[in-house]
Amino acid sequence: MGRMGRHVFVAGCVALWLLPLYLLVVNALTPVAEYEGKPGWTFQGFALVDNVRTAWDEAGIGDSFQASLLYAVVCGLVAVLVAAMAAFAVVVLPIPRPAFWFWLIYSGTLFPLQVFLAPLFGLYADANLYDTRLGLMLVYVAWAVPFAFFLIRNQMTTMPPELTEAALIDGASFIRVFWSVHVPLMRSGLGAAFLFQFTAVWNDLLLGLTLSRSGDVQPVMASLATLRATYASSGPPVILAGALVVSVPTLLLFLVFRGLFLRGMAASVR
Amino acid sequence: MTGTVPSTGVPAPPAREPRGRRRRVPLRTPHRAARPGARLGGPLTALPWALPAFAFVGVLLVYPFLRSVYGSFFEDNGFTSSYTGLDNYTRLADDPIFGRSLLNTLMWVAGTLLLPVLAGLVIALATHRLRWGGVAQLVIVLPFAISGTATAALWYFMLTSDGAVNQALRAVGLDSWAQLWLLEWPQNTLALIVASTWQATGLNVVLFAIGLRAIPRDTVEAARLDGANGWRMVRYITLPQLRAVTVVVVGMAIVNSLKAFDMIWILTQGGPSRSSETLALTMYRETFRLFHVGYGSAIALVLSVVVVASSWLYLSRQMPDTGWAKA
Repeated sequence: MGRMGRHVFVAGCVALWLLPLYLLVVNALTPVAEYEGKPGWTFQGFALVDNVRTAWDEAGIGDSFQASLLYAVVCGLVAVLVAAMAAFAVVVLPIPRPAFWFWLIYSGTLFPLQVFLAPLFGLYADANLYDTRLGLMLVYVAWAVPFAFFLIRNQMTTMPPELTEAALIDGASFIRVFWSVHVPLMRSGLGAAFLFQFTAVWNDLLLGLTLSRSGDVQPVMASLATLRATYASSGPPVILAGALVVSVPTLLLFLVFRGLFLRGMAASVR
Repeated sequence: MTGTVPSTGVPAPPAREPRGRRRRVPLRTPHRAARPGARLGGPLTALPWALPAFAFVGVLLVYPFLRSVYGSFFEDNGFTSSYTGLDNYTRLADDPIFGRSLLNTLMWVAGTLLLPVLAGLVIALATHRLRWGGVAQLVIVLPFAISGTATAALWYFMLTSDGAVNQALRAVGLDSWAQLWLLEWPQNTLALIVASTWQATGLNVVLFAIGLRAIPRDTVEAARLDGANGWRMVRYITLPQLRAVTVVVVGMAIVNSLKAFDMIWILTQGGPSRSSETLALTMYRETFRLFHVGYGSAIALVLSVVVVASSWLYLSRQMPDTGWAKA
């Protein structure tokens, strides 16, 4: 490819990738009354606030948005803590058969979500966890732990053993070694793991669809799916406004913490 | 990720160092003798640290998985169940929907291997060391930060019969190319694959870009002195150097394409008349819409076997030295 050809090719790709985003924004702005039953290619007005309000209140995205925020933040944090402790046990402490523990916990990422669903549904119905926030939070933590564990473990193996050793000689307990040596030194690794798990929980559709029903429990992606089914004929602008709103948190996180995301990604490539 | 990425699991090689060289610090250091036993305690001191993770994963993932295996030998409609041995599996073999679903799953694997990986590689190469390459990469990776569900809602709007894609085709005079994208097989599956390519490519661009930046300058300089340029440079220098990244990207693509759910569920719900279902969808519909719980478990199990076997086969062949093959 010549220099010129490269520029043209890249410009073409950028246009191809921007076009759907442009349509998303234009049509999310269109007032429902102005919508002509097919996609508009030019700005028809500025009704973003109205459309978002419709999606937020009438279609119940708002409640789910708060629920999902709770799930993503709490489950992300808990999963990272639990995973960091497990990584500490497998990498630093004298646990028997570290490979066994590693595979046991890591196996959670290999299987498709579908294989857990039916038994989980039964388990939840029996334990009265179906359609409760606690139930969803428990399963999100369990689902997030394996990959967080994988990321954190990979990073922990790069820490010089002398640090642990020195701290132990100074008389620190394991709890202190963990909180005062490993956690502070691995801040960016833990941060990356949290970002990944926040995003994963926020974006989940399948678990939310299966294990919850009511508006204030259902996570936001399941609500968006429902919104799409109920507003299918009447208001694409409302649906697109909803899609725009539910994308804001992950988009913001990604743009603000791009470096951390990429470092986490690079850590998993290596 | 779920759907996507990270939506979820990335089967990257877990153990880089060969087994036995892992750093289990306190056990192997000479200082241990200086402080006899006391602080390190027995091997059980570490258990409380691993226990929470084990409890979550064990109770909510491993147990349900085993329960699913067990349940697949029963005829179960959610209320009553009776042992039927391998009936669910023989039924699978005869079910025309399972056949279609398997075919669609294979199309997803092939499609999401070819398109996002190739596109990711080519775009990463084209943007590498381009002045505005970083900006271009950022634009292309944006959809990755958007959920599969939101992406699907957007693409539904583009792919419906009078959607944006058909409008665009008619506007440039390609009326005959306009299609009922979501209503006929196989173009509904193909359209879905294109939509997911739009979302997934960005991640691969970023990963390949990381790989490209890691290639030592000396190698490139040396090759250039030897007269390698353009295609030859890519073929004999760049691609071999990108091998580690490619393994991960392809491994991720295999797993994610097999698990793909939200894109299909939102865009077509597997329809019309189940023509765009993949194994992931068929399992969901059988279990939660038709209440064929045992049959659904059998499908889920087939899907898991396919996912684990394919990533295992691929990764253990691609990285024989990392412990994947032995583990």
